[in-house]
Amino acid sequence: MIGTGCWAVVAAACLLVGSTGKLGWVEIQYRLENVLLASLVGAALGSAGAVYQAILRNPLADPYLLGVSSGASLLAFVWRLPFAAVLSTSLLVAAGQQAFSFGGALISVGIALLMATRRGRLEPITLLLVGVIINAINGAIFLLLYALFPQLAAGSGSALNFLIGGIQTNLTHGQEGLSAALVGSGWIVMMYLTGQLNAASLSEAEAQAMGVQIHRVRWIALIVASIVTAAAVAISGPIGFIGLICPHLVRLVVGSDQRRLIPAATAFGAALLACADAITRLLSRQDLINTVLPVGVLTALLGGPFFLYLLWRSRRPTA
Amino acid sequence: MELLVAQNVGFAYGQALVLRDVNLVLRAGEVVALLGPNGSGKSTLIRSLLGQLPAQGSIAWDGKPIAKWSRRQLARQVAYMPQSPAWEAEQTVADVLRLGRTPYLGAFGLESTRDLSVISEVANLLKLSDLLDRRLDTLSGGQRQRAILGRCLAQEPRAMLLDEPGTHLDLRHQVDLGNLLRIFARKRNLGVLMASHELNLAGQLADRLILLSQGAVVADGPPEQVLKPELLSSVYELPMRQISQDGQVYVMPVIDRVTTDSHPSA
Repeated sequence: MIGTGCWAVVAAACLLVGSTGKLGWVEIQYRLENVLLASLVGAALGSAGAVYQAILRNPLADPYLLGVSSGASLLAFVWRLPFAAVLSTSLLVAAGQQAFSFGGALISVGIALLMATRRGRLEPITLLLVGVIINAINGAIFLLLYALFPQLAAGSGSALNFLIGGIQTNLTHGQEGLSAALVGSGWIVMMYLTGQLNAASLSEAEAQAMGVQIHRVRWIALIVASIVTAAAVAISGPIGFIGLICPHLVRLVVGSDQRRLIPAATAFGAALLACADAITRLLSRQDLINTVLPVGVLTALLGGPFFLYLLWRSRRPTA
Repeated sequence: MELLVAQNVGFAYGQALVLRDVNLVLRAGEVVALLGPNGSGKSTLIRSLLGQLPAQGSIAWDGKPIAKWSRRQLARQVAYMPQSPAWEAEQTVADVLRLGRTPYLGAFGLESTRDLSVISEVANLLKLSDLLDRRLDTLSGGQRQRAILGRCLAQEPRAMLLDEPGTHLDLRHQVDLGNLLRIFARKRNLGVLMASHELNLAGQLADRLILLSQGAVVADGPPEQVLKPELLSSVYELPMRQISQDGQVYVMPVIDRVTTDSHPSA
């Protein structure tokens, strides 16, 4: 409740930021779409990040660990290749690039989950390692294609967008609605699991003795969090560090109980990305930068140092 | 009243036989200590009794075979404390106690008023009320162990299985923990089964001792029947001696200091 209120205040501020006079209806519509899309992506990344950190029992886990972003980026670029255009016009006219990137994200996660499974059980450490390798392979293929087809790298929904991440404004309402529906329904499932997700902090034997089928919860939570992330990446590209930072900062305030952490990380993620997006638009409007800066640049600039701070803090002995 | 009846329980990791024809009964209101050297099968037996390992033989809780219990139902019947409980530095004592209510939580993890009153009652009982907001990494080992014990009690179980709960505790906290378990057994009619290496503490705190050797029960009875030097010497492969004082028996290993000091590697 409090989180939703805070997000609403931030969203309203983002809507009005940088306006010098009376806003026209077209301008309001444009800004509203930006704020809502940024909030949707931020909410998806914040909540999925909290779930990943709980399931993998790793405070440095983020929603892109299993190859969601690199898989999405790769297929989003593949969609722009000449042979894929034939497919996309005949089969996937409505969804287009978004469907390709969503598919790429899910394929990568699917491979990561399959590779990290032993006798139906997910092994968190193996999963992290497999995710790193899949990200590296996807990245290499992406750069190879980028070198081979440099003419496809420009424009909206371009390679740059899917490399760094930015809120796209060329999406149809159908594409936006589909992503919102996936994020919304995934979020409900994650919230449904919150009581059992708390038991993920225990050992396998303790969680079982607490009545939680921890392997089943891990599978469901990881698949749902990955779908939510894929839906976000499909409309924005991989916006870094939101999924890492939000659960951490929120944990300092609400504690580690997932029942409070996930909704708070959702609201904070939405507010933070809406804010960051508004700042990038403001920078371009103030003629500080010639073009609209992809919001992923800003989040990476802020998130990178924060990530290093987390590493540094985790190496300090506790009192 | 018999809470747990296990008959002819056997288990093997691959070809290695770990449990052989174990028969065991746990009654309401009694404290039973499970003794035996490392590798004698204590932890495996406890996990088998919890239905976490596919053991052979018959295990029944409250007269119902373990296969017919759902995980959630069984978690309301029996709580488990491992040798090294998992905890996160950021968790508070209140978080740990709330975890104990997991088998009772509704959809979306919603707590009932009953959940909240049980947590408050357990906190009072274990003198944790003033520590509820403290993070686990700021507590002493004994306080942390009490919080984990509180998590088990918050499950409102009828039995508790503990795997060497005193391993990381000093003598004073081991005695405190044992006393608490004895009080709960008596006042709440709880059946307590705990694996232990502390023969003399177990002898003083438990009503009954079960001695395991190479996966089989070699003795099951009151402390004075189990803490016998000849029996323990063969199980631990160590000369043992018994001391009796005020009607209580104690055992201790006989260490030959002369032989030890003149050992070639010394």
